[in-house]
Amino acid sequence: MKPDNGYEFRADASLENLQEVRAFIDRAGEKLGVDKGALADLRLAVDEAVTNIVQHGYRGRGGPIEVDMRAEGKDVHVRIRDRALSFSSENVRAPQLNTEFAERPFGGMGVFLIEKMTDEHEYRALPGGGNELLLVRKGAAKPR
Amino acid sequence: MSDLSIMVGQERDGSVSVLRLEGDIDASTHKSLEEKASEVIVGGAENILLDLSGVKYMGSAGFRSIHAISNMLESGGAQGLGKSSHLKLLNPTEEVSRVIKTLGFDVYLDIYTDRNEAVSSF
Repeated sequence: MKPDNGYEFRADASLENLQEVRAFIDRAGEKLGVDKGALADLRLAVDEAVTNIVQHGYRGRGGPIEVDMRAEGKDVHVRIRDRALSFSSENVRAPQLNTEFAERPFGGMGVFLIEKMTDEHEYRALPGGGNELLLVRKGAAKPR
Repeated sequence: MSDLSIMVGQERDGSVSVLRLEGDIDASTHKSLEEKASEVIVGGAENILLDLSGVKYMGSAGFRSIHAISNMLESGGAQGLGKSSHLKLLNPTEEVSRVIKTLGFDVYLDIYTDRNEAVSSF
């Protein structure tokens, strides 16, 4: 854990660690005074993002993941970093919500939820390899 | 490690199977939900009520499994554009309800807050 307004969590990227990641978001969110509804949304977005890293980034082979959660003024910023091959959400098809239910393709819901549960999200490839995803909820942190 | 427990009960002389879920439904646990539902359907179940009152967290993997279960139950006949008559949801938490609505699953699946009403609706 970091002092001041940021908290960090490191783990191996595996499905078995998803609950630990969510628990970290809950603990850090409580310390930062994050609004309950916003925290639930962030928890979901982070879980979806980490799941994508596990399954698509590292392709099930594991690898390091860092999750950093901090308040930037009244906004909550969560940064998720990995060292997997570059991933672009542009390559992910959005779920077709208006399609007849049985015909709906399975994919795309994770990225869609990340977009819906955050006010901003920004992806960048890290110099030297890896990726960083920034998730923002505006006005969700207790002002200091 | 995420935990998900699934208890199966029968209502209305076995015509409705109730799957009571407790825990988290994420990418590490969702398959067990599909497997249990499949087992129940292969055993002859035609109607399933998913009791979500004990579900603390459900992500997209859980919704994919619900979608798969709906398709398993509807495979005997076309669902068409209406709501499923064979799969219904009971008592999702506020948090899970929000995701249900965001993904539009409430357009295709009936959601109940009263168990008796849910069971009678099949």
